[in-house]
Amino acid sequence: MRGLRSWVARRLLLGVAQTAAVVLLVFVLTEALPGDAAVALAGDQPDPERIAAIREAMDLDRPAHERLADWAAGLLHGDFGTSLASGRPVSTYIADGFGPTLLLAALTVALLVPVGVGLGVLAARHEGRLADRIVSSMTLGVYAVPEFAFGVLLITVFALRLGWLPPTAVGYGTDLLAHPAALVLPVLVLLSRPVCSLARLVRAGMIDALASPYVAQARRYGIPGARIRYAHALPNAITPAAQQLARTIDWLLCGVIVVEALYVIPGLGTVLMNAVAERDVPVVQGLAVVFAVTTVVLNLGADLVAHRFAPRAGVAA
Amino acid sequence: MPRSRLTLGAVIVGVPLVLALLGPLFVGEPGPRAASFTLGGGGHWLGTDFIGRDVWRQVLLGGRSVVLVALAATALAYVVALPLGLIAALTHRTWLEELLMRPLDVLLAVPSLLMILLVASVFSPGAAGLALLVALVNIPDAARIVRAAAAEAASRPAVEALRMQGESWWRMAVGYVGRSVGRTLAADAGVRLTGVLYLVSTAAFLGVGVAPDAADWAVMVDRNRTGLFVQPWAVVVPALLIVALTMGGNLLFDAVLEKRNRT
Repeated sequence: MRGLRSWVARRLLLGVAQTAAVVLLVFVLTEALPGDAAVALAGDQPDPERIAAIREAMDLDRPAHERLADWAAGLLHGDFGTSLASGRPVSTYIADGFGPTLLLAALTVALLVPVGVGLGVLAARHEGRLADRIVSSMTLGVYAVPEFAFGVLLITVFALRLGWLPPTAVGYGTDLLAHPAALVLPVLVLLSRPVCSLARLVRAGMIDALASPYVAQARRYGIPGARIRYAHALPNAITPAAQQLARTIDWLLCGVIVVEALYVIPGLGTVLMNAVAERDVPVVQGLAVVFAVTTVVLNLGADLVAHRFAPRAGVAA
Repeated sequence: MPRSRLTLGAVIVGVPLVLALLGPLFVGEPGPRAASFTLGGGGHWLGTDFIGRDVWRQVLLGGRSVVLVALAATALAYVVALPLGLIAALTHRTWLEELLMRPLDVLLAVPSLLMILLVASVFSPGAAGLALLVALVNIPDAARIVRAAAAEAASRPAVEALRMQGESWWRMAVGYVGRSVGRTLAADAGVRLTGVLYLVSTAAFLGVGVAPDAADWAVMVDRNRTGLFVQPWAVVVPALLIVALTMGGNLLFDAVLEKRNRT
């Protein structure tokens, strides 16, 4: 038990270190520019007035470490600074975009686990036969396809040719739940890559688990097949998959940015892309911190869950 | 079964690859600009794009940047990751290993596309910058794989024997461990290349590292989206080519890997 507790403590410590490092990294990447940051940020219209305004707004006269300390202290209190472009607090940007993104992510994860695990178990049960071959080839093929290419083809087929679904979410505002048809394609595209990776891992784990001595023994006892599969083999098979879910979170965050751009959904990804286009550094920083900290926390959660299922497997840290 | 998948993958990936590499050799001089988003006719086989350029010409030109940037980024990632992982695995100084590998654990925590967008919000990277960025986000993972494979090879009795014979560190690291790592790397390279292709094309779709009117399949998909209902070819053809490139590549690499593991 002591080993477990010290492992959890070390993993939590790594999470804290990662969060701190990510905050530092975001700051360094966006502000510690070689040369004059204000000139770089003014971009296409480098007139002196605009440069002076940017320097003023971002306190660029002060040394970088003081600005970092102020910014980090503000983050701890939930103060993300103010936008360069509009002067509004960055937290209002985050609050505006939060709903649609959370809805997309929640729907995707809610569907991802049953579909991915289901496909994986199905393929493992019929290993080497037709169902397995179809599932395996499909998951292998779709796994690497970029969301934007897949999504644009889905729009062409389902919105343009068949006319079943709206092509984008334009005109629906942030209240997407009232228009479920507009959500079908985005969620489908977001699911495409994670489902494939999850199904492949579950399949591999299940094939190993079903060939193991304890499953053979359970069969000899006459325990029903479904119970062996879901109560005994699956928890062991799912451990590597739970760790892979952490990777999936990375993909999901990337996917959300692309899918929101593609289907014109006013979520955090759209806010981020607009801020990148306008070189609105405080907004980019705030959103980057939100995205990165979410990744760190979810990674931590996935590792803890994996550890809970199979304590003997040494997870990172 | 792997054989049929090998052929299938090779065929699917072959079409976009040949177009990407040989396409630029077969384009003629750019014709005069026509009206935007016209369907076929007027000598434009696939119609025209958002600023009235010939779509077929853009398709021929647009694959090279995607493929070359992806190849360069993959090679670059290994150039840095290989010595990093080898040194971390072979050194007997724990602090050096921690110093090399711990920062990478932290970098692994940042979503890769986010990192690229962060840099893009400040700089405007060109194609070379994009390759550098994509290589950078791939280094942590690649270095970990090299380190794991090298640590396994370094603990073999053969290395012990080399050390007792008084062979130089260089000979052990490069001559023996480096060579045994090669097999793992060959397996990893295919997976990494498809991942890099994904990142490069997605970044280009989001407008990072490319000019807004560049001849690039991902940029074509993005810019011609507004005319999807009038002129679908300008979007569907490049999108299909990107899908074929990534899908075929993955099928091919997987089949090659399976074949190697069997023999």
